[in-house]
Amino acid sequence: MKSVVTTVLAAADAAGRFPSGSDLESVQGNIQRSAARLEAAEKLAAGHAAVVKEAGDVVFKKYPYLKSAGEAGDSAEKVAKCYRDIDHYMRLINYCLVVGGTGPLDEWGISGAREVYRALNLPTAAYVAAFQYTRDRACAPRDMGPQALTEFRAYLDYVINALS
Amino acid sequence: MENRFLNIFPGLSEERAIELLYTPMDQLEDASERYIAAAHLVNFPSARAIDALLAAVENGDSPLDNRIVRRKAVETLGRLKVERSLPVICACLQDEDHYLVENAAWAIGEIGCNDPEILEELTALLAKPRQSYRTIIQTLAKLGYTPATGRIAAFEQSPEPPIASAAITAVGRLSGERAGLERLLPFLQHPNVNARRGVIQDLMDSEYCEAIPRIAACPVSAVFRLRGIRHLADAGVPTGAVSFEQVESSLDRVIVDHPRFLEPVHRYERTPRLEELIEELYSTDFGRCYLATQTIIDYYPDAGPALVASFEAAGHNDYGAHYHIVKLLGWLRFGEAREIVVGALHDRRPQFMKSRSAAAVALAELGDARVLADLHSCLDSFIWELKYACLIALEHLEDPTGAQIALQDADWVVRAKAERQCTAPLAH
Repeated sequence: MKSVVTTVLAAADAAGRFPSGSDLESVQGNIQRSAARLEAAEKLAAGHAAVVKEAGDVVFKKYPYLKSAGEAGDSAEKVAKCYRDIDHYMRLINYCLVVGGTGPLDEWGISGAREVYRALNLPTAAYVAAFQYTRDRACAPRDMGPQALTEFRAYLDYVINALS
Repeated sequence: MENRFLNIFPGLSEERAIELLYTPMDQLEDASERYIAAAHLVNFPSARAIDALLAAVENGDSPLDNRIVRRKAVETLGRLKVERSLPVICACLQDEDHYLVENAAWAIGEIGCNDPEILEELTALLAKPRQSYRTIIQTLAKLGYTPATGRIAAFEQSPEPPIASAAITAVGRLSGERAGLERLLPFLQHPNVNARRGVIQDLMDSEYCEAIPRIAACPVSAVFRLRGIRHLADAGVPTGAVSFEQVESSLDRVIVDHPRFLEPVHRYERTPRLEELIEELYSTDFGRCYLATQTIIDYYPDAGPALVASFEAAGHNDYGAHYHIVKLLGWLRFGEAREIVVGALHDRRPQFMKSRSAAAVALAELGDARVLADLHSCLDSFIWELKYACLIALEHLEDPTGAQIALQDADWVVRAKAERQCTAPLAH
């Protein structure tokens, strides 16, 4: 899995050189932020089910497409919402927080997804809205420390940016 | 065009969507409202809606929440094929936001364009760093811009498989040299799921009908395989490039979708425990799901109750696992779960559409003649895959009436299948 450390070392190795001063600075910067990232990762891991549910509920309540896409006679259980994709991206965001880079999202979540969403006309608008909601409602110190929140929001923005 | 998700915000009127699109970001209740409005206006191609979309594209404010609105507005204008939007969309090609550039390139391809200046501008993007080369290459090929062929060919060796396969495809389309298209086939077995999904699109764009049996065996979701095979059949049967009889066995295999029909790209070092395998059914890489399915069939024939437990706990609400569990309940002939399978056959949630075909096949496996009426009722559906699956299931259950009904179907593939069933002796 790609991280700042593996990227720096891979580039140095490819050129047969030692890491440069600026290489080490970027690694240093990455390590300095690791405590905040790990705090965010821990909070997200503990609360992801609630985070996903809240984001999904708000979006589906505001834009109840699943309910109307069904046909008469569907019971409330039948139209229970499917949050699979939101949870999938939250898990990838968690990995990014741990590794300190966007590698997990790039490798699994994002590349290729744009084309699939466009070709199959999948409803990215609902997902984007869910991530924007999560980003905007999360608050420090209630959910996590301010620096942890900054890290979490950065990856939420990364997903919003890449899916839209 | 696939449109089951187009109108996902039915409560949102055209009037309100236009109003939202003109509302400054800081006056919105939610950051997502303008983005959703830009997506939703695809349902209302009026002059006023198009004006609002054009204004949104021209709003160059740089915060992310506005940038994504611009991209979505460009995409919507592309879907609506609004010719008068071309100047505004072309102005996006030089934007710093490379996703906006990508959507602009795609939209130009949708709208159509033979202005050499614009096509040259698109081609020049190939020399610019950090661009969505795959989309740009696809657009140039779609628009038939042959002067770009040499510059596209440089990407055939790209380390990014989706870019390399798009370049091979584009060179084949632009030069008319089909011999090189064979190089696309190995991508169907690439370890990266995006490479596998991407190359199916490339084979569709190439109209490479010879690839149909290989697409059928590619370990990605049946949705992608059926989309590819159906596109090639629609293009190739009328021209005589391929016959329905040649396509039929591939279609049957993908609709039945037993993992033994697939060429797996993953393998296990040791046989996982059943719980681990069931967890794999929730993976977003269907290649892994199919390997888990085959392993459960081979090593855990009594997995039925554990699968039902997983379905009750989570699978009922996960469109991936839902599909694989329904399939497995059929393969394992776990008749106690009949109600789950019948429920899946009638599930109307849009993301669970493929589970309905899965359920038809699984019911045939369960060999329960009580379901004939359920299967017949699905022959009225607008989903051709479901009708095709029902025909296979009904044949398996030795019911000839389904094929008689389907002889009049509006969909030519369903009709062709029904005709084959009526003329050929029953397979079982």
